[in-house]
Amino acid sequence: MARWLRFGYLVLLSSRAFPMTDTARPSTDAEPLVRVRGLTTVLNGKTIFDALDMDIPRGRVTAIMGPSGTGKTTLLKHITGQMAGDAGEVWVDGREVGTLSRSQLFKLREQIGYLFQNSALLTDFDVFENVAFPLRQHTDLPEELIRNLVLLKLQSVGLRGAAALMPSELSGGMARRVALARAIVFDPMLILYDEPFVGLDPIALNQVLKLIRTLNDTLGITSVLVAHELDAIKQVADHVYLIANGKVVAQGDPKTIADDGSPWTRQFFGGEADGPVPFQYPAGDYAQSLGFPRSQA
Amino acid sequence: MSAQTQRNVVTEALAQIGHCGLFLLTILKSVPRSFRYGRETVRQLWFVGAMSLTIIMTCGLFVGMVLGLQLYYVLSIFGGTAASGTVVAIAIYRELGPVVTALLFAGRAGTSITAEIGLMRATDQIAAMEMMAVDPIAYVVAPRFLAGLIAMPLLCSVFCALGVFGGHLVGVTWLGIDNGTFWSNMTANVDVWKDVVNGVIYKSVAFGAVVSLIAVFQGYTTPPTSEGVAYATTRTVVASSITILALDFVLTAFLM
Repeated sequence: MARWLRFGYLVLLSSRAFPMTDTARPSTDAEPLVRVRGLTTVLNGKTIFDALDMDIPRGRVTAIMGPSGTGKTTLLKHITGQMAGDAGEVWVDGREVGTLSRSQLFKLREQIGYLFQNSALLTDFDVFENVAFPLRQHTDLPEELIRNLVLLKLQSVGLRGAAALMPSELSGGMARRVALARAIVFDPMLILYDEPFVGLDPIALNQVLKLIRTLNDTLGITSVLVAHELDAIKQVADHVYLIANGKVVAQGDPKTIADDGSPWTRQFFGGEADGPVPFQYPAGDYAQSLGFPRSQA
Repeated sequence: MSAQTQRNVVTEALAQIGHCGLFLLTILKSVPRSFRYGRETVRQLWFVGAMSLTIIMTCGLFVGMVLGLQLYYVLSIFGGTAASGTVVAIAIYRELGPVVTALLFAGRAGTSITAEIGLMRATDQIAAMEMMAVDPIAYVVAPRFLAGLIAMPLLCSVFCALGVFGGHLVGVTWLGIDNGTFWSNMTANVDVWKDVVNGVIYKSVAFGAVVSLIAVFQGYTTPPTSEGVAYATTRTVVASSITILALDFVLTAFLM
């Protein structure tokens, strides 16, 4: 009886920790969770996005692919408000990110999990404290409940036994999974994965793939993946956007997108060295830069 | 160096100072929020204060000993060795204590603050905090700034105490100045407000603020590369040292 009373108390506290505030989702489930309209970004004179339009549907795993340097990570930064575009709008859950104040942006970010490419674990803290960090910062939960929530999340990524390890003692795959546990500790509505498969061995890669799919389905999260690995994307994603030249050049089912016949998809998924994405970085006349006279054609 | 390059260097330096001033305002604005992270401030106080004690105590002792030795040599020419306690104390409280402590603090704690924050930025830990809706200025920067501000007067007090002890060790124990004369001259001529408070409190608080500000600013704004962190660490020492000495002149002129 006492155990049940204690459980009820913890559930009550937990509901106080995650209240439905005025930031609760104002938009309907039919609307895409993320809407990008006419996004234009110029960095150091280079156009990264040229009136980009994109919709990220709710509850699905959407992959964003494209050649290196096309601005995939920059797009994630626009979605989370870390970076403002030069023109256009980014809407997340019915809120235009560019118009939010810093405190409103922080409220929004409490509902977004972000998995960094290098995991970005806090090196002063052990695994347990890394996962507990957002809870300690944003709630006044009793230590016992924090402990239970953290162990629950660590168990879901298979690392409950590593709770006492420091980040320096983890392999790349383990660090990625700890970062994932930290990203989902608040049960976010959206998780953004920045290159989650880079540097993982096949075992760790499959573990992360399974986790992304399982978390998306069981928690009803919307997932956005930035990645290059088509084989992995085929296993986990519901929809793929291929970005190049600042625009969406192809989109569709990950299993069939490679066969749509466009030169972009042919080069990117076929791994061709030259094509719409040139092998050579734009440069002046080759012969002239080597000091030879310009050829008279 | 061409005139254009010189102008660019001056403009860049002025822009940095302006940027640093704005950064100070941001820190001060976030100080009330940083009180939530009291434990982090205490932890930083341990790192920048307690962990600096060894170097501060050792240097304080040797500075006092050297001062005692030099003064004994000079004052003995005029038969005034009895005044060595007074001169040691005044020199340490007014100038050497706050200035040398601040220089050592910049080298020991300032560089570690810059390197730590710079590496946190390079490894995306600062960005991760932003993404977890935690303000890195309130959580990372303000506690380190406050810790430096609190630690400096305490370290300066320790430095001064060890400095006077070092002067006593050489003057009285080694060179045979009368113990009573050493202490009585010192207590009679050293003014608590004019000498001790001005030096140990006002100057060291000002130096603590300046060194901490430079350290956190350099760390927070460093390019996220290993080269960037290395440059930022060097800049912390150089900028802090110049600022300490320049500010010391200004403060001395005002506090005279």
